Amino acid sequence: MIALALVLAAAATAPAQDAAASRTAPARSPVAERVAAWIARSGDNHGHPYIIVDKPAARVFLFDAAGRQLRDGPVLIGRALGDEATPAIGRKSLAEIGPAEKTTPAGRFMARFGRAVGKPVLWVDYATSVALHTIPPANKEHRRARMASPTIADNRITFGCINVPDDFYQRGVRPLFRKDGGYVYVLPDEQPLERVFPLLALQGPPAPPELAPPELAGSPR
Amino acid sequence: MPLTKLAPVMVITAASLGLSGCATKQFVREQVAVVNARVDTLEQRVGANEAATREAQSAAQAAGTAAQNNGQRIDQLNARVDGLEQRMNKPKRARN
Repeated sequence: MIALALVLAAAATAPAQDAAASRTAPARSPVAERVAAWIARSGDNHGHPYIIVDKPAARVFLFDAAGRQLRDGPVLIGRALGDEATPAIGRKSLAEIGPAEKTTPAGRFMARFGRAVGKPVLWVDYATSVALHTIPPANKEHRRARMASPTIADNRITFGCINVPDDFYQRGVRPLFRKDGGYVYVLPDEQPLERVFPLLALQGPPAPPELAPPELAGSPR
Repeated sequence: MPLTKLAPVMVITAASLGLSGCATKQFVREQVAVVNARVDTLEQRVGANEAATREAQSAAQAAGTAAQNNGQRIDQLNARVDGLEQRMNKPKRARN
């Protein structure tokens, strides 16, 4: 009788646990999945840890040097849609940066910790002043609320930097990248993936999605 | 029409049908030979293309590996340049 009660209790809590798991670890988008598979297969990270910033999904994924995903979370990115950085933007002050210039450039970057005004940051692209860090304490844009909200559009708010959750940064990025840095792959908003990551083209086109069994296709959930 | 008048017509028709039957077999043999020859040529071309494709694929892989190695060197150089710039200049403000 007790065993039966335990089985029933376990069955009752299982969906709740599944739901919680799906909340904490959402699936990567097909594009992020493709890039992650390419890096793992080709060893493009050259033995360094790496981060994939999925701009269209406003998610960030942290991997160790062996390609194991360690953490993921929401991310705040540049306010403007686009994959390029305007020339000489790295020499402008924040006040001089126009609305259309507030892009987070797409591409593959060797990132290292370095000096910055305020405190050290993980420089993603030093030349264009793009860094990965936590939400700046003084901000008028309600960045914490934006990061916590489930919607994607409101995650576009920064001047081009990549803001990640505190825990993701302190317990994930900092220990992994502190010594020798690592790679940051920023997925594009508009440009074709193969133009942003030319070596990806050598891996061939992505595998077609698996078809659902006929009895499941279209069945009500 | 009387049967005697129809007889030559029937003979000529039968003869022409018989002759055309023989000619058709010959024609078919010739055509099959032509098609076979074309198939052989195409098979040779396909084989040559497959070999060329394999060569191109391995060349592309080699170029990709070389590009990856060059990319790694550029990454290292960039990191050194960034490090030097940080040491030489005042701390820079990130784009927040």
